[in-house]
Amino acid sequence: MRTIRRRWAIPALGALLVGAVLAGVAFGTIGIAPATSVRLMLWKLHLAHRPAGVAESTAVILFQLRLPRVLLAALVGAALAAAGTVFQALFRNPMADPAIIGVSSGAALGAIVVILLGAGEALDAMGVSAAAFVGALLTAFVVYRLARLGPSVQVATLLLSGIAVAAIVSAVISLVMTFSGQNIRSIYFWLLGGLGARGWQSVIAALPFVAVGMALAAASAPDLNLIALGDERAAQLGLPVDRFKVVTLATGSLLTAAAVSVSGLIGFVGLMTPHILRLVVGADHRRLLPASILGGASFMILADLVARTAVRPEEIPVGAVTAVLGGPFFLYLLRRERRAAGARA
Amino acid sequence: MREPEPRGLELHVVHAGYGLRPVLAGVSMRAEPGRVTGLIGPNGSGKTTLVRVASRGLRPSAGSVTVAGVDPYAVSARLSARIVGVVPQELAPAFEYTVLELVLMGRAPHRSRWGAGTEDWAHARRAMGAANVLHLADRPIGELSGGERQRAVLAQALAQDTPILLLDEPTTHLDIRHLVEILGLVRGLARDEGRTVLVIFHDLNLASAYCDEIVALSEGRVVAAGSPEHVITRGLVRDVFGLEADVAPAGVTGRPSVVLSPPVAAASPNPLGAPRAHVVGGAGRGASVMRALAERGFAVSTGVLHVGDTDAAVAERLNLLRISVPPFSIIDAASARDVRSMMAEASLVVVCDAPFGPGNVENLRAALHVARSGGAVALLQQVPIEERDFTGGEATALWRELASCATTYGSVDAVLGAVGPRD
Repeated sequence: MRTIRRRWAIPALGALLVGAVLAGVAFGTIGIAPATSVRLMLWKLHLAHRPAGVAESTAVILFQLRLPRVLLAALVGAALAAAGTVFQALFRNPMADPAIIGVSSGAALGAIVVILLGAGEALDAMGVSAAAFVGALLTAFVVYRLARLGPSVQVATLLLSGIAVAAIVSAVISLVMTFSGQNIRSIYFWLLGGLGARGWQSVIAALPFVAVGMALAAASAPDLNLIALGDERAAQLGLPVDRFKVVTLATGSLLTAAAVSVSGLIGFVGLMTPHILRLVVGADHRRLLPASILGGASFMILADLVARTAVRPEEIPVGAVTAVLGGPFFLYLLRRERRAAGARA
Repeated sequence: MREPEPRGLELHVVHAGYGLRPVLAGVSMRAEPGRVTGLIGPNGSGKTTLVRVASRGLRPSAGSVTVAGVDPYAVSARLSARIVGVVPQELAPAFEYTVLELVLMGRAPHRSRWGAGTEDWAHARRAMGAANVLHLADRPIGELSGGERQRAVLAQALAQDTPILLLDEPTTHLDIRHLVEILGLVRGLARDEGRTVLVIFHDLNLASAYCDEIVALSEGRVVAAGSPEHVITRGLVRDVFGLEADVAPAGVTGRPSVVLSPPVAAASPNPLGAPRAHVVGGAGRGASVMRALAERGFAVSTGVLHVGDTDAAVAERLNLLRISVPPFSIIDAASARDVRSMMAEASLVVVCDAPFGPGNVENLRAALHVARSGGAVALLQQVPIEERDFTGGEATALWRELASCATTYGSVDAVLGAVGPRD
């Protein structure tokens, strides 16, 4: 039973992602049937003739509004889930998540500083992402240093370090925003977490960072298994631990920064996705990482779908949707973790 | 001087510690291929630190480490992990890996990054078979018992397939069947496969029985090294662990065996004003009575015993007044006289159900003499006299006669109950 579940999990998650994409582009002010979407996409990819009887406006909505947004959601979800997977192994703690440990806030601060200093439009999206990466990386190192007291990172120290660092970073963000004048509203909405309306521009800005981050994460997947055994055991099994940790912290930070710089602060995706999928595919990161990437992408597409259709014509920030789903889940995990700790004591 | 064996493990005047706290202070030792080397010593003596130093986990501040002719600190972690494998005391993965996943991680220093090749699978399967966890392959380790977990960790290290294997107390959680199984396996790794095996032991008897060489550490120094007979001695147990223990060859191995017992309160041969009890024992039948009487505050005397007899050793340990004669000899006239007066002056004589032969039947005659002249004599009979009479009937006759003028008890507790607490 377990082996069957594991063998079919990855193809099933792939199918789920395709379904999520089609559902994501289907709903909105006008509905687009999945069959129509597929035919239009095949035509765009030069694999089929232009489908007859489909209005020009439908194609425009699909390709200019819906598809970039869905793809951006997929990239962001995949990046956050991969970052969560990497951080959880590195911190040896299933409660680690880019938002919870403050790395997302660090990335946001980096991005905001550059947006404001760079006089808004002049600076390209690449610069924002790079600054977000620097912010994320610095925060990740600080939190890791603070949280680590022994051979592994305790839940309490991790959460407290993350909260403390995130609070400091948020204070700095508020301070910076005070001086930001007319940009304050857009920055505020960006911070809440949303996939916005910048279309293909955001997709193109995020894609290279996400791709590099995922490649690095994929390369480190077998060794994430070793680091989860603890530094000493990992070294005994041949892992150059110090170098690996630096590279892995950088990988997680890069993935977080890529997501944050195009979507603001979206929490809990990095926490929930690896956690749930670990129950399905097991703890081996060679399966867990691809599963989390596929699962995170699907989850984010569906969360964004809810965000923009639930109270039409208004749009809820997608960060609020993930928080509504993820918050209770997080509390449940925390409670279970504490009960387990109590049972051990 | 032997040539240094290039395939083994060698530490040369190693100093190592954590921060400012030195743990190893000039340790030189060697573990050779094909042999099981035991590492013993009290808590904090530096055993685990030594394993850490040898497995590239703690760089020595001075001195040199050589594993299979290589300085582990001069090569990559990966290369070192192909030479030295470690079985840690505990392994606490952050996630619920299955046993198979865990064991395959042992192949990390050998395999390419992603795929586990057929060779890796073969090694993993062989390791799981050897550690007897094949049937647990798909079980998450969180579901396993302590012993199963320990065997899974052993399988991980076996899958690593290194010429040098260091085991840090691999038997703590094992039941005795698995203990014997695993230690047999470990010995096979050395004897049959020619690997260098270093094992940390807390149990000195296991170390004695399974090791070819033993290194004893105390306060970061090597205090003894060599064969079990050479290292496991009463003196070592006293000096290194601060305990009095009996050490004697035991079992089919004939290796030294350490017997620990709680320290005895009454130790002076004649506590002032204490009533004295005389115990007739032999072949260990008197040990518990002597001990119990001594603990109750009696001055205890014993004899006649043969040197080398178990009861003689116990009497020596308890520092009792005693009369003894050379091994297997017949009790001489002087000793016979002495024991009669010793019994006559005692307030109680306890005759234990020892085997009686020509060598010690004189003790029964002495006890009978005392009983007839009105002395208090207690007989302890748990084994019928017929089964322990090696005199051809004389001992049985004497015992029956004794029974007619003394009280017979069926257990040590019954004797003590009749004696009552001294206070």
